[in-house]
Amino acid sequence: MKHTILLFLATFLFASTLYGQDKPIDLGEVLIVADTKLKDFSNTQETVTLSDSIIRKSKPSLTNLLNTNTTIYFKENGAGMVSSPSFRGTTAQQTAVVWNGININSQLNGQTDFNTINPTVFDELTVRSGGGSVLYGSGAIGGTIHLTNTLNYKKGFRNSVSLDYGSFDTYAVTYTGEVATNKFNTKIAVNRSGSKNDFEYVEKEGKNLNGSFYNTSVNTTIGYKIDSVNSLTLYNYVYDGERHFSLIFPSELPTKYNDFNTRNLLEWKGDYANFTSKLKLAYLTEEYKYFPNIDKPGFSTANVESFMAKYDAGFNISEKIQVNGVVDFTQNKGEETNIQQETRNITAFNLLLKHNVSNRFLYEITARKEITNTYESPFLYSAGASFKATSFYTVKVNTSKNFRIPTFNDLYWQGSGNPDLKPETSYQAELGNHFNFQNIELGITGYYNALQDMIRWLPSGSAWMPVNTEKVKIYGLESQLGWNHTIGKHHFSANATYAYTVSKNDKTDKQLIYVPYHKGTATFGYALNQFSAYYQFLYVGEVFTNSDNDPKYNVDAYNLSTVGLDYSFGRNKNYTLGFTVRNLLNTAYESVASRAMPGRNYNLHINLNF
Amino acid sequence: MRKITSLLILALIVSISLSSCSSDDDAPITEEEEEEVPLGDYENGMFILNEGNGNPATASVSFLADDGMLLNDIFRTVNPDAEEIGSYLQNMFFDETRAFIVSGSANSVTVVDRYTFEYIATVSGDFEAPRYGTVANGFAYVTNTADYATGDDDFFTVINLTDYTTTRVDLNNWSEKVLEHNDKVYVANGYYGSGNSITVFNPQSNSVEAEIDLGAGNAPNSFEVEDNTLYVLTSGFGIDGKVFKIDLSSNQITSTIEIPSEIESVRNLSIEDDSIYFTSGASVYSLGINETSVSTTPVLTYDSNSEYGVMYGFEVEDDAIYISDGGDFASDSEAYQYSLDGTLLETFTVGVGPNGFYEND
Repeated sequence: MKHTILLFLATFLFASTLYGQDKPIDLGEVLIVADTKLKDFSNTQETVTLSDSIIRKSKPSLTNLLNTNTTIYFKENGAGMVSSPSFRGTTAQQTAVVWNGININSQLNGQTDFNTINPTVFDELTVRSGGGSVLYGSGAIGGTIHLTNTLNYKKGFRNSVSLDYGSFDTYAVTYTGEVATNKFNTKIAVNRSGSKNDFEYVEKEGKNLNGSFYNTSVNTTIGYKIDSVNSLTLYNYVYDGERHFSLIFPSELPTKYNDFNTRNLLEWKGDYANFTSKLKLAYLTEEYKYFPNIDKPGFSTANVESFMAKYDAGFNISEKIQVNGVVDFTQNKGEETNIQQETRNITAFNLLLKHNVSNRFLYEITARKEITNTYESPFLYSAGASFKATSFYTVKVNTSKNFRIPTFNDLYWQGSGNPDLKPETSYQAELGNHFNFQNIELGITGYYNALQDMIRWLPSGSAWMPVNTEKVKIYGLESQLGWNHTIGKHHFSANATYAYTVSKNDKTDKQLIYVPYHKGTATFGYALNQFSAYYQFLYVGEVFTNSDNDPKYNVDAYNLSTVGLDYSFGRNKNYTLGFTVRNLLNTAYESVASRAMPGRNYNLHINLNF
Repeated sequence: MRKITSLLILALIVSISLSSCSSDDDAPITEEEEEEVPLGDYENGMFILNEGNGNPATASVSFLADDGMLLNDIFRTVNPDAEEIGSYLQNMFFDETRAFIVSGSANSVTVVDRYTFEYIATVSGDFEAPRYGTVANGFAYVTNTADYATGDDDFFTVINLTDYTTTRVDLNNWSEKVLEHNDKVYVANGYYGSGNSITVFNPQSNSVEAEIDLGAGNAPNSFEVEDNTLYVLTSGFGIDGKVFKIDLSSNQITSTIEIPSEIESVRNLSIEDDSIYFTSGASVYSLGINETSVSTTPVLTYDSNSEYGVMYGFEVEDDAIYISDGGDFASDSEAYQYSLDGTLLETFTVGVGPNGFYEND
């Protein structure tokens, strides 16, 4: 174990790799993006944007993509099954997933299952580390994951089809199409994925039973320029999936789970000289069905409808000062097998300020206050500064107060819900160091996060009730490294991340379960003419699975290797044929205790752009 | 249950073993002890079932010997290469030579030697969320909840104990705890406030013989036989708890003890030495077997920090009260031994989610 860490660190340093903060491709056109705050108000925190090519490599799920490219740890309850993140040592409910600026974590359980999001239907994926509750609301504590669709009114008709097939009957079909004129643009991305997922266990008898899944994702973006100032953009995202939950014992009762989620957003933007007006209306639905026995019709279900209206007035007071005033209103209406219909209304006021004092120094201050009848809402804020000390070194500091509001289950679960719950709150501070040499980038961020009023379910008489109780203290270090080099026709690249995380229950002084002390990733790429190849490495340190940190029950550390080879052909290299081998060394490993993960597996893919 | 006879014998054995313990090495070997052939390491004591959590590695069985020695994780100690028992261990029951362990997650029953704890077989098939079992007429009868929302699909898995084959017998009523007495099988038809009757089942004909109605809202949650009388503890939503006494020769309710409404959500009936014990929250209450009212003063109240598992296991045996605390279900938890007057005698660290005590003698 120690050996592995050393080995990894050596690799890490030797290769003097650097994490490539792949910038969104600048097409020289005005890019329409709904989540503008991500760019405007994240200058004093860490953001990493994953490019198209990385997204394509890391099919099929958001879990796999982020696990192999970022410091975020994932607890995957078997391959393709329920997957929850721990970002900077926080709980699954303390990472917010943001779709085009809208927080889409479940209103029922407060988290996102990262195996129900297919990254191929988005144009850009950005990971923003640290608190962001002022901008992105509940759960933006460990960090936020941004799924972004972009539009650029560049005339044309563009199509892309990609087909994947691999081990365990795993397939994916993706189509993306775009029609654009000067005034009008429509973009659609459709993905259908599935797998029998019936892999043989490595190093033990048996195979993964009842693990099959399939899902369909459709993302549509329609933009219309009314005139030179006003534009309308409509975003729509539908996810429909079914999963059979895999078994540990063949004698278990097979179960299955259906998800059906829709997200809709309409944005009206008015772009004046020193004033930007934005009105956003969003409507989200989420629904699940859980069948405790596949052979029987009985199921439990829940659904929540959310409506959101947001008005954002942005002023450029001078060239250097940007101020935004934002008012938003959210209504959630939910119903569940164990919840009567409930409605929750939240109104919030936000004030944001960014001041570019000079080319080298800027600061940002943001604040939010909510008014709601359902919980006592704290005043939230964030303040940060960035200073470019030398041509190659920038230092960033940021501090913020963030929250995670009680979920529908916490508040309203029949007979147990506690309507008096307060939100979980987090006070955090971080210091980021950025080094930028010719073709090397290095980022090292240290952070501290104090969480209080953690919501846990405790006994109250004979029933259980969620109450605000525990405190957790987290500190750690996050680093990214990226390197690019070209010698003639040979292109080399290397990216790596490493995180050290201590996340302790304040009362027991024990590390939280399923939070590894160490996690690292590395990708090495090489391209020559029409060929490109890469090697990807993932190291996940051992995790405790029992709250007393009894090592007897630990899930062992593991490292995984993936190799891929792509061949591009056609007149403009617009066709690609590729082959990937995952878990190259056929390692037996588990993400969650007793849930074996697949051994070596293969994938063949074709991508056609026309 | 064999408890009536075993009680006296046990009291005797305990008093003998306790006194012999104190002068262990020097005690002259009596003839009786010399003749006794030990049946196994787990002959005299109590099994503690630790249900575990989603990770089957956390499910285990502990053994508390009569001499106070605790052994944890005995199944894996004895059977390092055997199939795992599964998780969410729900119940344990016995025949003359074997112990049967019910796993809710693995949907199976593991059979072991009750004295050596050596693995014998895993029974699977014909289970759907198995709950509790008993043995009658050479067969094991295991209740199954099937769909949790309804009692209509509840059934018995009947295990042939010679070849471990299984069949199903529909019960079509909420079916939870089960016991055997005088060649009849009795099922408590109650599930968290639903169901309000006792089923009398004939294992010779594999059919329901009678149903004893306990009245609306009185959901049975635990029961025991004493002197051919079935004592049933009931509780329900918005209704006071009760103890029903049923004469098993006529299947008639002979009397009902009302529990004061201050004592809410009663559970865990256990009869010992002509006293009836039960629990509410973290408190233990008792009354004489012939008393008709219940004092609201508990025998004892223990401290629990458990998030979900207050009074997760309870038993009164051998002049002691045993309580196990569920803890946080993510770490090893504790079991407590109290005297009958409520004095804490011993604390034991057992496994994850201890939910029951099973005397083995």
